[in-house]
Amino acid sequence: MKKAIKFMLNGDPVETLADTNVTMTDFLRRDMHLTGTKRGCEEGECGACTILLDRRPVASCLMLATEAEGHEIVTIEGIMEDGKLHPVQRQFVEKWALQCGFCTPGMIISAVALLEENPSPTEAEIRDAIAGNLCRCTGYAKIVEAIGAAAESLSRKVA
Amino acid sequence: MAMSSKEYYAEIEKVYKKPEDYELAGKGNAYVRVDAEAKVTGRAKYTDDIDLPGMWYCKLVRSPHAHARIKSIDFTEALKVPGVKGVLTGKDFPEGHNMGNPEAFKELADKEPICREIVRMVGDEVAAVCGVTEEAAEEGMRLVKVEYEVLPAVIDPFEAMNNDAPYVHYKNTNNISMFTTMIGGDPDKAFAEADYTDKHYYMTQQMVHAAIEPHGAAAIYENGEWTIWSTTQGAYVTRFWIAWGLGVPESAVRVIKPHMGGGFGGKLDAFAHELCPAKFAQQLGHPVKCILKRDEVFLGTRTRHPIAFEIETAFTKDGKLLAKRCRHILDGGAYGGSGIAANALSLICATFPYKVDNIDMTARRPYTNKPASGAMRGYSACQVHFAHDVHIEEVAESLGIDSVELRRKNAITPYYTGPTGLQFTTCDFDETLVRAAEAIDWAKRGEIPRGSGTGVGFAGSGFMSGTGFPVLVTPRYSSSSTLVRLNREGYATVFSGANDIGQGCDTVMVMIVAEELGLRMDEVKIVNSDTTLTPWDAGSFGSRVTFLGGNSCRRAVGDAKLKLLTHWGEEWGCKPEDITMKDHRVFVKGDPEKNISYNEACFGYEEKNFGRCISGVGSFAHDGDKDIYVKNRGNYAPAYSFSSSAARVEVDMETGQIELKHFVFAHDCGRPLNTRAVEGQIEGSVLLGLGFTCYEECKYDKDGHHLNPSFRDYRFPTALDMPSIQTILCGKPDPDGPMGAKEAGEGSTAPVGPAIANALTYATGLKFHRLPVDPETIWRGIRQKKLTGAIDVGLEGLEEKFAKMPDVKPFH
Repeated sequence: MKKAIKFMLNGDPVETLADTNVTMTDFLRRDMHLTGTKRGCEEGECGACTILLDRRPVASCLMLATEAEGHEIVTIEGIMEDGKLHPVQRQFVEKWALQCGFCTPGMIISAVALLEENPSPTEAEIRDAIAGNLCRCTGYAKIVEAIGAAAESLSRKVA
Repeated sequence: MAMSSKEYYAEIEKVYKKPEDYELAGKGNAYVRVDAEAKVTGRAKYTDDIDLPGMWYCKLVRSPHAHARIKSIDFTEALKVPGVKGVLTGKDFPEGHNMGNPEAFKELADKEPICREIVRMVGDEVAAVCGVTEEAAEEGMRLVKVEYEVLPAVIDPFEAMNNDAPYVHYKNTNNISMFTTMIGGDPDKAFAEADYTDKHYYMTQQMVHAAIEPHGAAAIYENGEWTIWSTTQGAYVTRFWIAWGLGVPESAVRVIKPHMGGGFGGKLDAFAHELCPAKFAQQLGHPVKCILKRDEVFLGTRTRHPIAFEIETAFTKDGKLLAKRCRHILDGGAYGGSGIAANALSLICATFPYKVDNIDMTARRPYTNKPASGAMRGYSACQVHFAHDVHIEEVAESLGIDSVELRRKNAITPYYTGPTGLQFTTCDFDETLVRAAEAIDWAKRGEIPRGSGTGVGFAGSGFMSGTGFPVLVTPRYSSSSTLVRLNREGYATVFSGANDIGQGCDTVMVMIVAEELGLRMDEVKIVNSDTTLTPWDAGSFGSRVTFLGGNSCRRAVGDAKLKLLTHWGEEWGCKPEDITMKDHRVFVKGDPEKNISYNEACFGYEEKNFGRCISGVGSFAHDGDKDIYVKNRGNYAPAYSFSSSAARVEVDMETGQIELKHFVFAHDCGRPLNTRAVEGQIEGSVLLGLGFTCYEECKYDKDGHHLNPSFRDYRFPTALDMPSIQTILCGKPDPDGPMGAKEAGEGSTAPVGPAIANALTYATGLKFHRLPVDPETIWRGIRQKKLTGAIDVGLEGLEEKFAKMPDVKPFH
């Protein structure tokens, strides 16, 4: 069964039919061809599928596509600003805050959400914000460092 | 004597850049990963992101029983599901074409692509269903009716070795898939003469790799050949097994490794999820994809061998290690595959990083009806160094010698030859011991009272830098080969067979080429891991990629560079080695007449040679004995890395809650090619080691059902659980390593567990013999100590189990 839905996706309006039983993860990957949102566990544990729903991070595998109705969705593909890397993305590159990269989109989404809510987080607050994003490669050290550096560069920008 | 690989390439070394001129190698922030931008933008394509026109989906039907005979399979209802297009059983694959390692031990080629008659573990593949959508395939999969005759299963490795145990594969073998012996010196004499001897028991658990990307593959069949994208750690090895499993020539199969979401050893073997979509693609004329769900990854892929240890050591009273006897029982699970190296590695790892000349060691690998064990990062080393280094700590206490001093006293020194023929080369193990001890303030450990809840622990280890032997294709060389092409439009292309599974080897190869040619990183293009486009490489395992692949790449670019500079040497009347390549220029220092751009240099060569492009070929192979797994003697690797680690923990003595406060890791990896990359490997190793020590364990009921196949129930450390980590890079450039480097990926996992365990021992005053040491274990241990005074935790029945083992003649 399909249902008509209307929502904002990465800044653009989308009006389409979605299967009523499809998760947001599969809808984004399959119907919208946005494969940056990853399937790691499909049960809300790993965070690889994290997206922004009205600027708050959610596990898209725990959400039905039809629940996007009337909301604003941002995926990793919508994080760049004016064709340039977002400061969080830039710091992930510069600090070597990724290895296999499979958790990276979800991790960056969580970090962007954190910095929008809390522009100067402590290390503990950074760790707390990404506690739902599992990474098996990095030990999180460089990820925490990159998010801290992004916060600094954003605050310089504002000042 | 045959020429060594080093002699073969000696000629090109003269044009290698000198270490003092390196602009990229050894630096931390001189460049970034070549795949970083693709990964932070979500553009990097992984196997599940492959979406081809007309693509269908494959799902696997799995056994609910740990051991059973398949009586019948009924597809009637499954085939009625709209969109279900086809089904497969074991009979669709040629009989006898099993996955494993037939050329070394034919019995270990024991995994059918799909089970034909017997299932040997919960999750074993029984059938496959293809549907036009993932949902149709899944619905069809659920409706396949399989009738089983349930057989008795054996879950415990010791029970599996009993004479009357049900057999997993072969009758009258006590279920032992491999029995390995290593003997050296005169252990009996050494034990007789020793001032101090003892015997201890330890046990490690079943753990999984848990790469965040699940396994999967996508296949297309066109013009009589397959193209298969797979989550593999070795495109060539996977190609070998897919061709073998399908019964077709290797030339009819192309395997491409897209971006990989982690491997850790779990993606080395060949699996049904690769063979089934390939078969469907041929039968049905559509591309077909098969991506495993998380529980399938737990049930149907690979795990780390649980090992039970009996360790006896002999020391002089002043702490010199004279001899070691040990017995290792490795739970092999249901199949062989990449498990082939487990026994030999477990024994080899017990012979270093501490010198021991007299050894008597055996390893048995019984089959059980559980998921198959295989390679996992720090293969056998993590378990062995946990047991053997916790043991060192206990010996130190008994002898009244500081444990770091005991380690230093027995530490491997440069160019030592081990009792099984390991030829150590560069070694700065002592430096790692000293600097890690300094950094954790080891000298002041005594000021912390034992059992106070605060503890500091220490451990040392070593690892092969570039395993010289293939795990899954023998007797082929475990070589690596690379091509480099210089382009007159101002760039170079490197065709690298090395498999980047996330560790960053694509970046290493690009850096080496850029460094040698004086180009920027973005002026070097990489073509990677594709059996049609790139030359042979044995895969990403055994910490071989930087060492073997890196050397191979440097020789390839050296070969091209020598051709280019020989030409310009003739033009300019100088020697090739007098010419410098830097900042996109080719020049003789101090001579403005002899200074041209890289583009002009390449063009000049081509003009003179009728347009022939400049290309270089390089390879690296360990000059070792290919029968090492049969003889169990010889040198395993071209170099060895060494590390020490130290942990500071706090334990809540009421609840058993553990906090790892700080971790120090000192690693001798020769010259680190990129310090941030090496730190990243080490920080990741600390996560795996903490998970291994305090969190992770696959649990089973008595019938072999996995009780926690999800990230909810199988927990590993999050960002909140990880400590601050201090990395100390030690050692000197290794003369045989690429630009002086040794491994940093796997050896770094080995000393983490024992350091944490030793810290927990100090903090609690208990002695831990079994992993994981989780809060419940500690809480129970504290309670037991209060009630009975007993401090040994996790020893239950282990000594008795060893004593009761039936006498089986060694083989393999």
